[in-house]
Amino acid sequence: MEQVAELKGRVKALIVRQLKLEIDPETIRDDAPLFGDDASGLGLDSIDALELVLGIEKEFGIKVQDEEVGVKAFASVNALCEFIGSKAA
Amino acid sequence: MSPLREDLPHVYPFRFVERTVEKRGPAEGRVRALVTAGGRRTEKGEALPPLTLVEVVAQAALLLEGGDPGIGRSGFLAGVSGFEFERTPVSGDLLDVDVRIAGVLGPIVRFEGTVTDGEGRRVCAGAVTVKKGAAA
Repeated sequence: MEQVAELKGRVKALIVRQLKLEIDPETIRDDAPLFGDDASGLGLDSIDALELVLGIEKEFGIKVQDEEVGVKAFASVNALCEFIGSKAA
Repeated sequence: MSPLREDLPHVYPFRFVERTVEKRGPAEGRVRALVTAGGRRTEKGEALPPLTLVEVVAQAALLLEGGDPGIGRSGFLAGVSGFEFERTPVSGDLLDVDVRIAGVLGPIVRFEGTVTDGEGRRVCAGAVTVKKGAAA
């Protein structure tokens, strides 16, 4: 559990740093949608998605080359952590 | 080495790159640009404004990827990041623009570019993000 919490913290910090968001990483909900117009989410767009791809590659050494995979993996912090976990396993 | 009139939609005075010098991959290689005097591309007819150099890099990327008209003619500049300017090119300078793909996700492509002058001195470096397809 501790490792999962740590990974979520790293992912949230990465999102804020890579996208230059002016928010506290801790305020990002684990299950909130990262993309789209949902008021509970971050409202990221496709340009942000590429920024995240590059950030994940740099931080975790994982390549995301397929757009469909990217869309699913970037659905939320939880989804992103599952994706990173599956690639690291 | 070919003229680029068919490869790039931009026309004077908004065309900054001249020709492909070396193509190392689908969108990786070296493009040459010439700073000309008295045109709108130069500031007071002499120096090339730094922001124009961003467009130089974007056009170089587009030119290198422009072999496919469907891609090259329908993309647009979507982002600029990490640019550092070290020198100001002036009229008569020949610039070499080295471009490579840094990342791709669907229609979004990030290109990294480095501009050097005719003596090999770095002019600027940075990244541009291009989105293929028409603007929404």
